Amino acid sequence: MLDAGELAVISGPSGSGKSTLLRLFNRLLDPGKGEILYNGRPLAGYGVVELRRDIYYLQQAPVMIQKTVRDNLLLPFRFRAAKKDTLPPDDEKLLKLLERFKLSGVTLEDDATRMSIGQKQRLAFIRAMLLAPQVMLLDEPMSSLDPVSRAVVRENVERMATGEGTAIILVMHYNFASSVARTRRYHMENGVISDSQ
Amino acid sequence: MDPIEISYGQLLIGLVFIATAGGASLFLKLGLERDIIWGTVRTFAQLFLMGYILVYIFRMDSAAIILLIFTGMILFAALTIRGRVQEKGVPYLIPTFISMFMSYMLVTIVVTYFVINVEPWYEPRYFIPLGGMIIGNSMSAIAISLERIFSDIRKRRDEIELYLCLGARHGEATGDIVRESVKAGMIPSINAMMAVGIVFLPGMMTGQIIAGADPVTSIKYQIVVMLMLVGSTAIGSIIIAFIVRNLCFTKAEQLKI
Repeated sequence: MLDAGELAVISGPSGSGKSTLLRLFNRLLDPGKGEILYNGRPLAGYGVVELRRDIYYLQQAPVMIQKTVRDNLLLPFRFRAAKKDTLPPDDEKLLKLLERFKLSGVTLEDDATRMSIGQKQRLAFIRAMLLAPQVMLLDEPMSSLDPVSRAVVRENVERMATGEGTAIILVMHYNFASSVARTRRYHMENGVISDSQ
Repeated sequence: MDPIEISYGQLLIGLVFIATAGGASLFLKLGLERDIIWGTVRTFAQLFLMGYILVYIFRMDSAAIILLIFTGMILFAALTIRGRVQEKGVPYLIPTFISMFMSYMLVTIVVTYFVINVEPWYEPRYFIPLGGMIIGNSMSAIAISLERIFSDIRKRRDEIELYLCLGARHGEATGDIVRESVKAGMIPSINAMMAVGIVFLPGMMTGQIIAGADPVTSIKYQIVVMLMLVGSTAIGSIIIAFIVRNLCFTKAEQLKI
């Protein structure tokens, strides 16, 4: 069970099944048996496209398409599933976000595929935030970041949980010091998850 | 003017070329000897067999039988492609057959009925060789498209999943991949139009000329063949790319391979 505004931190060695678990939550995979409920209904009861925009999975390796930073950030607004009444954010808002994530040297016209891995990881995080999902599945979102950027991402994870009420499931192979009041901690090993509180 | 007959003895002189290739394979340890010998045996057997069958086919006057033979040729081509494209995750044999069948049938009938204006349109002397040329040449286009789409989907897996995570349908997630695959299938036949007559003289045209046909008539036939190859590779690559792309995803927009 995970409520809005809660943070679940799942730690465990690599290969223990953490990413597979996250992929079950947004139906990139379906479980062999058992059921996952979202708002009391099984995941299969939702339209998969809408479900994935509600429960967003941020991949471990940040993927940028061969276009500008702006095109990459606005990617969620390009598909038919994007609601007609939601306007994509303007350049001013995008620039503010870049600044907040310590990406001031990056312009919106830069080729996103030429960024460093740490920059891409932050851009991918911003892209996820712009989608404003109800549930955010974060797969090692800080693995390639220096301590300063790591602090920025942590701050924003906490802000999404406490400020916007996003339910967050965070997968890390090391510990995540969280100031979110409602944080649950789990440990995963060989595909088995256990409460580590 | 009748062509000069090649005797069986003269035909065997041609084996000198095979011996050269086999010798090279032995000397350089290429391990191709078996394939070279088997290929030679099959070339002789298949062509002679086809020659004798053609004698019978040309006497037939039944659209159903001609179409059945043509379907058999396409099925054999689809099986050949399956041997070439290494992909176990998606059953693509039947889609390959369907896309080849639709594309080749359409193009061949348009050519015999409207362009050459043969009476009847299934006249085997025209229908089978023209259809066979389409199959032989655009078979590789289909194989290229298939190989390309499978390898691109595997290579760009993360990107496809990013699109899916953002709420894209599989069509939106693989638009570029499908375009690239169709393009890869179409380019060789377009390039062939650029080089024909300068870099190479096509087999059909040279064959007709050797057989004593008027060169201008042969050229007109060759032009028709070049154009129909472009058409058949385009139609075939497009159909196969779309069908196979859809087969790579589940109903829940999950990647299968």
